[in-house]
Amino acid sequence: MDNLRRWWKPTALLILLAYPWIFRAPYYHVLGFNVMLFATMATSWNIMGGYTGYKSLGHSAFYGLGAYFVAIAANQLGWNPLVSAPFLALIVALVAVILGWIMLRTSGSAFVISTIAMLLIFRLTALNLREITKGAPGLSQPLPPWTPEFSRMPFYYYMVVWLIIALFVSWYIRRSRFGLGLVAIRDDEGKAEMVGVNTTLYKILAFGVSAYFVALCGGVWSYFTSHISPVFAFDIIVGVDMILMTMLGGLGTLWGPVLGAFILIPTSDLILFTFGSSTIYLAIIGVLMMVVIIFLPKGILPTIQQWIQDRRAPRAAHQGALSMAEMHGLTDDSPSVEEEIRHD
Amino acid sequence: MHLPSWNVLIQVAVIGILTGGVYALMATGLTLIFGVMRVINIAHGAFLILSAYISYWMFTAYGLDPFLSVIVSVPLLFVIGLIFQRYVLSRVQGDPGLGVLLTFAMALTLEGLMGSLWESTGRSVRTAYTSNVFVIELSDITLRLPWVRVGGLVAAVIALLSIFLILSRTNLGRAIRATIQNRSAAQLMGVNVERVQAMTFGISLGTVAAGGAMFSLIWTFNSGSHEEWISKMLSIIVLGGMGSLPGAFLAAIIMGLAESVAAVVMSSYLSPIVFYLILFITLIFRPQGLLGVKVREE
Amino acid sequence: MTELLSTKGISRRFGGIQAVQDCNISVQAGSITGLIGPNGSGKTTLFNLITGVYNPDNGQATFQGKQITGLSPSQICHEGLSRTFQITRLFWEMTVLENMIVPIRQVGLRSLLGPNMFKEEIDRAMVLLERVGLTHLKDELAGKLSFGQQKLLEFAAILMAKPTMVMLDEPAGGVNPTMIRFIMQLILELNQDNVTFLVVEHNMGVVMELCTHVIVMDQGTKLAEGAPEEIQANPAVLEAYLGN
Repeated sequence: MDNLRRWWKPTALLILLAYPWIFRAPYYHVLGFNVMLFATMATSWNIMGGYTGYKSLGHSAFYGLGAYFVAIAANQLGWNPLVSAPFLALIVALVAVILGWIMLRTSGSAFVISTIAMLLIFRLTALNLREITKGAPGLSQPLPPWTPEFSRMPFYYYMVVWLIIALFVSWYIRRSRFGLGLVAIRDDEGKAEMVGVNTTLYKILAFGVSAYFVALCGGVWSYFTSHISPVFAFDIIVGVDMILMTMLGGLGTLWGPVLGAFILIPTSDLILFTFGSSTIYLAIIGVLMMVVIIFLPKGILPTIQQWIQDRRAPRAAHQGALSMAEMHGLTDDSPSVEEEIRHD
Repeated sequence: MHLPSWNVLIQVAVIGILTGGVYALMATGLTLIFGVMRVINIAHGAFLILSAYISYWMFTAYGLDPFLSVIVSVPLLFVIGLIFQRYVLSRVQGDPGLGVLLTFAMALTLEGLMGSLWESTGRSVRTAYTSNVFVIELSDITLRLPWVRVGGLVAAVIALLSIFLILSRTNLGRAIRATIQNRSAAQLMGVNVERVQAMTFGISLGTVAAGGAMFSLIWTFNSGSHEEWISKMLSIIVLGGMGSLPGAFLAAIIMGLAESVAAVVMSSYLSPIVFYLILFITLIFRPQGLLGVKVREE
Repeated sequence: MTELLSTKGISRRFGGIQAVQDCNISVQAGSITGLIGPNGSGKTTLFNLITGVYNPDNGQATFQGKQITGLSPSQICHEGLSRTFQITRLFWEMTVLENMIVPIRQVGLRSLLGPNMFKEEIDRAMVLLERVGLTHLKDELAGKLSFGQQKLLEFAAILMAKPTMVMLDEPAGGVNPTMIRFIMQLILELNQDNVTFLVVEHNMGVVMELCTHVIVMDQGTKLAEGAPEEIQANPAVLEAYLGN
């Protein structure tokens, strides 16, 4: 068991690096790219949705912004997307911070709604700002300079690198004081404020960071597909996928989003191939999501963790939930203070 | 941007108000569910489109006018709402975050199912009177008000009055209002909150059925339309104050008016953006909405 | 004796109910001041108004000479004013130790990005946990503690912020007499280290023994104040309790 813990990461990395050489067909390269892409985005979304508990439904707004910024920069300024994406994503993160400052003023419910509105504002703007975005028909950009057989591998490796970076950032936040504050906000935001956590600042920062990688992915995707349009760049399904993957793997865990991506992307490809129609696909994704939410709300990793814990030590009889009687001290007879404190 | 003549402005404003009435009908159910259950029902838009499809189907298959087929669709949607709440949504009781995601998933499922059944062709109910208009002449202003829009407003008013009567005159209504104000207190006073929730969801979908019937006469739709409409409805309830029924009504009229005027001042493709811009403005200056109550902690 | 906390003309209405009405109170530095009154007299609402949970419709609150009306709860906490809740509030999914660390004041971006617990902070937390006898539970989830343990944790945790003044909302509520003794002892010790207390309590025995000064509220405003014995003998106070 300990060996597994020590060696699984280097082994996994090796497999990831060797993957495009083992599976040569272009389809597998595309699949690999998509898995890396979505694993990165889900990891990013998780920072806001998982650690902080604010589930943004319109996160693909940043994906679309990244896509358009990169495409426009490639066309107007000749910037190579693989170089420009990380920098342009910073601008999108800044936009997220500004929008976050507006959207995070009220309750979580209003936040969720405003993320949807945000997505639609960007989509409608992209559709109508025809001089810049070319409107509904969409925007093309120059193809990558490498040969067709090779063509998907650079994208794949690029995303492997960024997935690692995103995971690092996610891990770092988790063990930092910032992360502790985020989890406190998720647990009880009012209490967090009461003990001095600057909740507004924390939320806005988390939102900005979570937008960054998603925007970067959008930029890379625009180069990958060479042609983007508002309907696809600002598609709500991209955001839904991020959420579903994270929930499937384990909301708020480090590896959950990655696991979710590894499961969901190949599966949804399979579903699309089997049924051919995109509407059936949608219905299945919807049902799948409902099943996960109802029966596996914590996701796979925490459920496994709980299962392991339960096998080692049975759960304590009470879980801290107070009965009415307990609250009014009616169940107590008077043990000494030491007894009271050492009681479990 | 170009400024239109007075005649056009007034015409457009009146249409906007009429439309706002129908919006009010559609948004009422949404804010009602939020008030009682603190859940944002993202599937509201999808159920609206479903109702529109039902009206369309009953019209094309049986020749039933949507104003009549509501007799069938309202109870049908009511029952669907009851079942959905009782057996699906209640499973995530107490976690509004999961509730939103669940209703979102339901919306996707419905979109997928409707798309499979009816394909992506735009549908609409075209009756004999679809292109008829009332012509009203006041001094030098001519107003052309389509029958369907006026009918939509009348139906909306009737439906909203019914909701108002249910809420203020019946025992169920009292229970619903109590649950909205203070859920735990209501429970302690003997209100069967599970039953209230199921009934509320049923009533909400009932209004959606009526709204959907009107909708099918006025607009073109396909299975993907729900996204646009739920977003508009959500913006309306945030403007009005989430959980506030009078707020939703007021906000719906305002939004209908704003959108209508915007359609002539800017492009009609861009006009829906007023919903979302007004939403953001609301969040900046009055986050609790027009008639909502500002509470720091929920 | 200097005035540490005061409210002037503070009012707040909720819908049809005037919860707090033109309330003027004053808490002296170094005191243990009791805040009593029948149910519904607005004590917890007053707490919420002072700590920034609600904004008052009128009036203001001042702490250490500085206006705190309109500040956010976290800003008020940074001024040195901490509070507990009537129904214990903790970070249920965090460990006891983590609950102790969160309230420590963060200054600057560097502390934000640093590790979530520094050694000195853990040491300080352990000292406090020792004082309330919870050291053996430091890695236990807060949600798994017993009711009395949770109350102690909530109290200990807010002390990590080194507050100048602590507002306690029914610290003796729902716990047995031995625990009450323990909590009272803790309050007295902290008071000797110059922590001022404002304590809402229904348990009159606690109030009489603990408080140096008592404020009585009724119907949203201050009814009377004075030394505990004076309050006990005040007929208006008796009537407020019995008349309800």
